[in-house]
Amino acid sequence: MDHFPTNWGRPNYNTFDAHATYPLHVHPQPSSSADGVQHTQQPIVTGTSVLALKYKDGIMLAADNLASYGSLARFKGVQRLQAVGDYTIIGASGDMADFQYLQYILDNLIISEEINPQDGHKLGPSEVHEYLSQLLYARRSRMNPLWNSVLVGGFRDGQRFLAYVDLLGTTYKASTLATGYGAYIAQPLLRKAVEGKEDTLTEDEARKIMEDCLRVLFYRDARSINQYQIATISAAGASISGSLKLETSWGFAEGIRGYGGQTQ
Amino acid sequence: MSIMDHNGGSVIAMAGKDCVAIASDLRLGAGAQTIAMNFEKVFPVTDRLYMGLPGLATDVITLREKFRYLTNMFHIKESRPLQPSTFAHLLSSTLYERRFGPYFCEPVLAGLELTPSGTYQPYIAGTDLIGCLNFAKDFIVAGTASDKLFGVAEGLWEPDLGPEDLFETISQTLLNSVDRDAYSGWGAIVHVITADKVVTRTLKGRMD
Amino acid sequence: MPDMSVLAGPQQHQFNPYAENGGTILAIAGADFTVVAGDTRQSEGYSIQTRYAPKVFRLTDRAVLAVNGFAADGNMFVKKVKQRLEWYRHAHAKDMPLRAIARLIQTMLYAQRFFPYYVYNILGGIEEDGSGAVYSFDPVGSYEREACRAAGAAQSLVQPFLDNQIYFKNQTAAPGQSHPTHLPLSDVLSIVIDSFTSATERHIEVGDGLEIYIVLAKGRSLQGVEGLRGLREMSSREDGERVFVLQRELKKD
Repeated sequence: MDHFPTNWGRPNYNTFDAHATYPLHVHPQPSSSADGVQHTQQPIVTGTSVLALKYKDGIMLAADNLASYGSLARFKGVQRLQAVGDYTIIGASGDMADFQYLQYILDNLIISEEINPQDGHKLGPSEVHEYLSQLLYARRSRMNPLWNSVLVGGFRDGQRFLAYVDLLGTTYKASTLATGYGAYIAQPLLRKAVEGKEDTLTEDEARKIMEDCLRVLFYRDARSINQYQIATISAAGASISGSLKLETSWGFAEGIRGYGGQTQ
Repeated sequence: MSIMDHNGGSVIAMAGKDCVAIASDLRLGAGAQTIAMNFEKVFPVTDRLYMGLPGLATDVITLREKFRYLTNMFHIKESRPLQPSTFAHLLSSTLYERRFGPYFCEPVLAGLELTPSGTYQPYIAGTDLIGCLNFAKDFIVAGTASDKLFGVAEGLWEPDLGPEDLFETISQTLLNSVDRDAYSGWGAIVHVITADKVVTRTLKGRMD
Repeated sequence: MPDMSVLAGPQQHQFNPYAENGGTILAIAGADFTVVAGDTRQSEGYSIQTRYAPKVFRLTDRAVLAVNGFAADGNMFVKKVKQRLEWYRHAHAKDMPLRAIARLIQTMLYAQRFFPYYVYNILGGIEEDGSGAVYSFDPVGSYEREACRAAGAAQSLVQPFLDNQIYFKNQTAAPGQSHPTHLPLSDVLSIVIDSFTSATERHIEVGDGLEIYIVLAKGRSLQGVEGLRGLREMSSREDGERVFVLQRELKKD
């Protein structure tokens, strides 16, 4: 066993620092010109679309439970919606490892900003969104992005909050939001169903809209699955449903060549 | 840089009340270098129909001669006036014949169409380089300054302009657009077509 | 299986840290006022991300900044400019003058010369001498004071229109007369609105909403802004320069 940490798969720092001018833990990084650190990456295990909308009482978010490995449906029981503090729920698509890292960061943020100080100051959805935006923008600026598109929904002091942030640090707000394929397939349906009705839509109506959108996505997005969760955040607080099953009908496929049924 | 931009140049056509106008710049370039300042890109087809041909200069001349031939053949064979709408489809099908090796021109038409009641009605049209027709009620633009022409024309054009106002509108639109385009300019030529005459004016423009 | 061989050696695919979020901005300076406007659509490719994302920001009572290009860089840049202006206020107990803000922006942009903010900036406001001013910048800080400037997706559509309508380019004045060097506010507002409706008509990345900031010199009458539908005052005091914002709808298709 080699007990010398700098030899554990990293270049020996003597190459860079022959006279040990740096303490062990701050020895210089190898330059990127040689066979050095490669930041640039691609998403590996990915989650597909997340949907969100404003309704009468607050914000509703939805995401399915699949984490794909390329085209392989690798993990079928993954939760992609997560409460952050008392007033916020986030939903993530993109790299699930990066999302779990985000969850870890946010859990520690809540511990250091709410639990440890015990000063009564809580983080609301706008603070969580700003924090995520700054984090993701900083990572993209270091050319080492966290490969996610995140929706941040929240409700605090009677105010609804719904915003988006992605791996580039791009942000925006709207009364309906969708990431990934949802931006192409579900967003038009959401806008038609929600815009102008944000203050009158009931939770049941909103849930129906979400289910319809998830169903269309399941029919057409090959990286989706028919198990999903819906979360709401309102004056009553945050609640994330258990894993639900989408009701689908495949009767139309009977007459279509290629969907099965026919042998020739 | 696209082959369409190699020689530079722009054309615009506008419809007015009982009149149409068509105009082009006069530059001929080879990339950024200006070769000539008298290269007209608008040609008469009939007494009441003009065609603008911005694009690759060699194809401008080829197409001008090709359509002169086709127009003459039409007159010989048919012994009747060639209407703008007829010519538009001749133009479209001629360009589409070269679908997979096109002429690098985006033609613009401006003319007066004879109606069954014997009056003349403004007719403008444009096509892309493979002959996809675009009939507009207001204006048609093409060439290296087309984005600028779209912006200025959308701001200046209004319906039912008389010949003099239409001349002023198309001239201002063209001059101000080509002044923001490095590949167009160096003077302009404007034709205003009415039922009884065509008025052609050459405009001075910025030479820088 | 995804192709894992790419992970072995250096990556072929390079992460692109920039995006282009569409939209257009525009500013026009008058004798004793400045107008700064931008549409509110934010898009990427053919998708509209939101119909309301402001691109024009009040910096002080006499300075307004419009940013266009990569939205994340734009928002970060505005945040940092505002932070520097706050520090200045705390150090000097006054707002930074417009020309100083312009130089600050050039320095901040050039500081990122080798990883630029992918943003076109237009700064509008009132100079210390009370005149309206517009400063326009490129992404790495080259800047110039002008009377009018358009930038963004529809710059090529709007700028030649402005040359014609603001600078009277290619127009000859009547004999014995000359063109005005500055237009009245009501004319400027009409030209701004016309510019954006034209750009909306012919450019897919422009539309949804229009936000027009109007900065008036100290002591100037409210002529030209009085009675405007939906006018909101943004300035902190009434006895200095004053900032107003005007919102208009644009086509959403």
